[in-house]
Amino acid sequence: MLELRPILSALWRHKISALLIALQLGLTLAIVSNASVVIQEREERIARPTGIAEADIVTAHFMPIPKDYDLLEAFRLDMDMIRQLPGVAAATISRAPLAGSGSSGGFHTKPHQEVGSTGAAFFSGDEHFIDALGMKLVAGRNFTPSEIRIMESSSSERPTITIITQQLADTLFPEGNALGKSLYFGGDDNPMEIVGIVERNLGPWPNSSVAGNTVFFPAIMETQWYDYIVRAEPGQRDAVLKLLEEKMAERDAERVIEVKTLTEQKTRYYAGDNTMIKVLTGVVSLLTFIVALGIVGLTVFWITQRQKQIGVRRALGATRTAISRYFLLENLMIAATGVALGTAAAQIFNQFLASEFGQPALPLSTTLVCAFILLAVSLTSALVPALRAANISPAMATRSV
Amino acid sequence: MLKMHNIRKSYRTDTIETHALRDFSLEVNEGEFVSVTGPSGSGKTTFLNIAGLLETPTGGQYLLDGQEVGNLSDRERSHLRNEKIGFIFQGFNLIPDLSLFDNIDVPLRYRGFNAKERRRRIEKSLEQVGLSARAKHLPAQLSGGQQQRVAIARALAGEPRFLLADEPTGNLDSLMARQVMELLEFINQWGTTIVMVTHDPDLARRAHRNIQIVDGQVSDLRQNIAADEAAIA
Repeated sequence: MLELRPILSALWRHKISALLIALQLGLTLAIVSNASVVIQEREERIARPTGIAEADIVTAHFMPIPKDYDLLEAFRLDMDMIRQLPGVAAATISRAPLAGSGSSGGFHTKPHQEVGSTGAAFFSGDEHFIDALGMKLVAGRNFTPSEIRIMESSSSERPTITIITQQLADTLFPEGNALGKSLYFGGDDNPMEIVGIVERNLGPWPNSSVAGNTVFFPAIMETQWYDYIVRAEPGQRDAVLKLLEEKMAERDAERVIEVKTLTEQKTRYYAGDNTMIKVLTGVVSLLTFIVALGIVGLTVFWITQRQKQIGVRRALGATRTAISRYFLLENLMIAATGVALGTAAAQIFNQFLASEFGQPALPLSTTLVCAFILLAVSLTSALVPALRAANISPAMATRSV
Repeated sequence: MLKMHNIRKSYRTDTIETHALRDFSLEVNEGEFVSVTGPSGSGKTTFLNIAGLLETPTGGQYLLDGQEVGNLSDRERSHLRNEKIGFIFQGFNLIPDLSLFDNIDVPLRYRGFNAKERRRRIEKSLEQVGLSARAKHLPAQLSGGQQQRVAIARALAGEPRFLLADEPTGNLDSLMARQVMELLEFINQWGTTIVMVTHDPDLARRAHRNIQIVDGQVSDLRQNIAADEAAIA
């Protein structure tokens, strides 16, 4: 038979210590659930689809030593060599996405539009660009070789066609059918016809407000700000990376070559997020551990304090199960009070964080899951002391100490 | 009611084995009031613990109400304690955090009675000990004698057939002790078998029979002390 009322009466006589543990639990819940939202948001951010075959991609960059280095010729020779390498599926010359470095600007749907621009990152690339990144063309067509221009970095010339991401297409043309429409860059009057739409590309800065809004120009920029983007056949990335480094050095030993996987660059870009996840996970674990310790400590203290009482209860007919149940129920009542307070505190805390730091809203379901976990931690912490309490002999009732 | 035959109880540490009871045999009949005396360390408490199923004997046979209890599980012993045995302790052993009502309620909850039946029994037992008006008070708000009466009410509420009292007047002044003793005698008259451990020879004499334990054995068994003394007189 559950002893809710007597337990409540007994707790009322020890309300300060019970309340302190409940408050500790509540505070932990408020912090843990809000930290969980941040962790969840960061994890989702890192894990969201990028639209590219990031696991198979290797990027290479070199710094030419001579000042009169023929960059375009090097591009041509390198690409010819790279595309012949075993394990290479496709290669292009552009900038690596997800790397935290690139270009962006404001795009419009009308010429000379001065307000209402939509921010987007942009890349230059040849007809191999979509294939080299493993992107999916969902509408229209790819660039053709004849459409690719060689442009100097200082050139103000605008391409006449473009490919954009589905997200940007939906933003600029919410009524749909972006294909064939014109796009204007930076408030000028040079229309760029949208000839293709790719499913997704997060651009150079996946954490920025323009992430996912990406524009591709049919051009090879004659600039040092470029990367060779090489997509390996599945499972061949590491072999291709090694081969690429060797063959590039073999073709021209007079240059400094840097070869990396795109995964490495992505990891570096998300280093802050990963650190935040680790720190918050540590804080959450530490707080939960401290709560568990507090509960173990309090339960052990109360049991030690009530050894005689437990003996008396046993003498009066309590089974071992009844004694364990008493302490678990007592713990559950304290923990339930704590999580009830904590659920309210978590929401208030979240509103403060949302208004001050733009933290995402805390769904009640997250708080409830955290509350359930804390309840389980609390009960588990009380379990061993409660089982030990059940072993107190009923003969304790007749002892004089 | 209670029949012990060659009961042995020893406590063992790494180096020493202490024999608390040795070949202890005793029979207590239904409705008897038996006092148990003896010097400190003689084995009185051990006897009480074994009689009350608080401890198990090392050897021997113990029949309670005709049932062999030596091989019962802990759960079965708990149920038997709850149903058949009432305890009155020297230090009252009331739970300080609970009101008198809730204290008496403790064994009744373990018995599984419903709320209505528990209330009826609690009110009746409080009335029997004359403390109905104090049901909501805490033990600390009562005198020692009143607390012992609550402990008796707690023992009575389960309507046990066998009452074990461990120095029930040990912590009381003479007036309170007399009141508690009268209450026990009254309870015995209703038919409850009582075994009372005491140091007080005057109280021991008021029982039907006195048993003296020395060195873990029954040393002197005198039937009907009152009748003997009457004959001598």
